[in-house]
Amino acid sequence: MTAVIEVNSLTKRYRDTIAADNVSFTIEKDTIYGLLGRNGAGKTTVMSILTAQNFATSGDVRVFGEHPYENSKVLSRLCFVRESQKYPDDATPAHALRIARLFYPNWDQDFAERLIDDFQLPLKTRIKKLSRGQLSAVGVIIGLASRAEITFFDEPYLGLDAVARQIFYDRLLEDYARHPRTIILSSHLIDEVSNLLEHVIVIDRGRILIDDSTEALRGAAATIVGDAAAVDAFTAGREVIHREALGRVASVTVRGELTADDLARLTDAGLDVGTVSLQQLIVRLTQAAGGAIAEDATASREPSLDIESATLDKEAQR
Amino acid sequence: MSTQTMNSRPKNRTLSVIRMQMVNRATYLWVPILVLGGSLVVTLAIWGILASAGVEGPLYGGGAQAPLWYFAVVGVQALALTFPFSQAMSVTRREFYIGTLLTAAITSAILAVIFVLGGFVEQATDGWGLNGYFFYLPWVWETGPVGAGVVFFVIAMLFFTVGFWAATIYKRFGNVVLTGTILAIALILVGLMWLAGRLDAWGQIGAWLAAQGALGLALWGALLIAVLAGTSYLTLRRATP
Repeated sequence: MTAVIEVNSLTKRYRDTIAADNVSFTIEKDTIYGLLGRNGAGKTTVMSILTAQNFATSGDVRVFGEHPYENSKVLSRLCFVRESQKYPDDATPAHALRIARLFYPNWDQDFAERLIDDFQLPLKTRIKKLSRGQLSAVGVIIGLASRAEITFFDEPYLGLDAVARQIFYDRLLEDYARHPRTIILSSHLIDEVSNLLEHVIVIDRGRILIDDSTEALRGAAATIVGDAAAVDAFTAGREVIHREALGRVASVTVRGELTADDLARLTDAGLDVGTVSLQQLIVRLTQAAGGAIAEDATASREPSLDIESATLDKEAQR
Repeated sequence: MSTQTMNSRPKNRTLSVIRMQMVNRATYLWVPILVLGGSLVVTLAIWGILASAGVEGPLYGGGAQAPLWYFAVVGVQALALTFPFSQAMSVTRREFYIGTLLTAAITSAILAVIFVLGGFVEQATDGWGLNGYFFYLPWVWETGPVGAGVVFFVIAMLFFTVGFWAATIYKRFGNVVLTGTILAIALILVGLMWLAGRLDAWGQIGAWLAAQGALGLALWGALLIAVLAGTSYLTLRRATP
């Protein structure tokens, strides 16, 4: 494997917040990465520093082995359309795509036209007047059709309906199979994108919480359900990342893979084992990192990271 | 490693920035031409009324400056809206800056040519038959059509650069710093005016301005453009979209 991006002790401080706190990671060539985390976790900041749109407070960033800042040799191989991307005044999607064609050496016009059709994007409407979903589609089409060697998608689905989102995921995978490249997909719709991802980086409050392959993360945690006393006996000494209880029944999520021996013990104790989805794992780890291990007395099975309202918040910010 | 990269920089990206700025032709061409044509029509209509009322002239109109003011707006827009988009197109700040100023130079040159051609028309038609002069201002034309063209070019560029400069400071440092900067410049100018009054130098200043002529002042304007453009570049280098 070859690293196309190397980030070393990257820190970005705004006046009163810290968007990246001594972050280090590498991105390998021709892999689909998920850059996951809550709103305001620092995802966009990291991506904009990698593309020299923003500046690090300290630390070092290398893309294709070089500093990206004012480096058009490197930048011309990257594509980053941000979630709140601004377009020239009075520009239409037709204008924006024509410009993108000028700058991206691997631009595929046929592919762009097919995507325009897929997303039913009106080409002659001014971008200012587009709906949120259509605006997202402009960014998605530029990101896909540019076929840049490293492409960043920053919450690309905002305002897109379920059908359009599925089109995006399908086209991304199809095109990635034909033209392998490095994709970094920032998202908080974790369940929806988890099948696409080969590697996951979770960032929370400017720190890296998880940096692992999706494969390794499957089975990285399990939920034990049953009589509270028996559950607690089994989970004692393990890393508990979430606990909820209703009456005498407890549901405890522990980190680490269960051995055959563990499974036998659980069967003997009459306890059930539930799998933990990538989304649940990330939500629980994020909560655990936040200090308090959430103890939901209501025994809500839903992750308390409210995806729907988080999406709305982002939209309201626009 | 990164110091060697300038050599292998793709060559046509600065030209692509010009095409990016020009992709919506309304901003740089049709709107200024429309503003110019509109203000010419209004001016001619007023002169027609004056002529029918028996006013002899020669009449001079200030309407020609209308598209020049618009250039300040274009300067603001070129930065405020197109710079963030250029960043999404993976354009370096330097490429964006050079390409954008070249775009401004091209359109300023087109505008200057239109003004000079308009001046020729006015000379040939004795001021549209009304003895009214919109483009042919004797003070500007005293060094001939080329000199007049240079003056018009510099004025258009100056308006653009002022807009671009202000928008760059706003983008990088925000509203407070921009307002503070403009206020500081205004205070310095007022201070200089006070000093001129104290030293009783207004007569000399007037004489100096008259001696420069329009072309001479245009060259001083070019110097001001260079200062503003240079400051804009230094500011833009660390601006974020």
